[in-house]
Amino acid sequence: MNNKLKVLRAMRNWSQAELADRLDVSRQAVNAIETGKYDPSLPLAFKLARLFEMPIEEIFDDEFEGSNNV
Amino acid sequence: MSEREKAKRPMSPRRKRYLTAIGLSGLIGIIMGAWSQVDNFDEHARFALLNNSPLTPSFAIGASILWIVGLIVCLFIYHRAVDDHEERAYLWAGLAAWYTFVLSAPTWWVLHRADLAPPVDTMLLFLGAMLVNCAVWLWLKYR
Repeated sequence: MNNKLKVLRAMRNWSQAELADRLDVSRQAVNAIETGKYDPSLPLAFKLARLFEMPIEEIFDDEFEGSNNV
Repeated sequence: MSEREKAKRPMSPRRKRYLTAIGLSGLIGIIMGAWSQVDNFDEHARFALLNNSPLTPSFAIGASILWIVGLIVCLFIYHRAVDDHEERAYLWAGLAAWYTFVLSAPTWWVLHRADLAPPVDTMLLFLGAMLVNCAVWLWLKYR
C-alpha cells in the first residue's frame, strides 16, 4: 500500500527515530511502513492520522479505483 | 530538534520493557552457560550445554527451572513491549519454525525406522527450528 508518511515526516523535519518515538513504535516499524514493506494495523493507522491531523485515507492509498460502494 | 533535545528525550516505557526483556533473557543465557561450565566440567567436552554429555542433577533441575520460569517472565515482558511490526515478524517467524518442525520431525522419524537415518535428535530439531525462527524474524524486522 502506498503512503505519504515520508513526505509528511519530511515536512515536519522529523527523523524516523523521532516519528517512532511519537508513535511509540520502533524505528524499524516506521522505516518498514515508509518503504511499503509493512502495512500498519488499524490502531497504528489511527495514531498516525491523529499525529498528522489528517484522515487515514489521505495518508494511505490502497490504489483502489472501483465503485465507492465496496 | 537539536542533538541536545534528542539526547534528553526520555526512553518510553515500551522501550524500557523491551530492553528489560532482551537484557533479562541474555542474563539467563549467560547464567546457564556459566553454570553449566562450572558444574559439568568435562575435559573432552568444551561446552557442556552444546553436547550430549551427562549433566549433574543439580544443574539439570536448576537449569530447567531457570529456563521455564525465566523464559515465561521474559516472554511476558516482551509481548507487552513489542509494536505491531515486530509482533508480525515474531508470529511469522514462529510459524516458519513450526513448519520446519512439522516437515523435519516425521520425515526423520520414518527414515530412522527404515534404518536410513540415525535416531531422531530432539535438540537438533529444536536448533533447526530456532535457526529458521531467528532468520525469518531478523529478515522481517530489519530488511
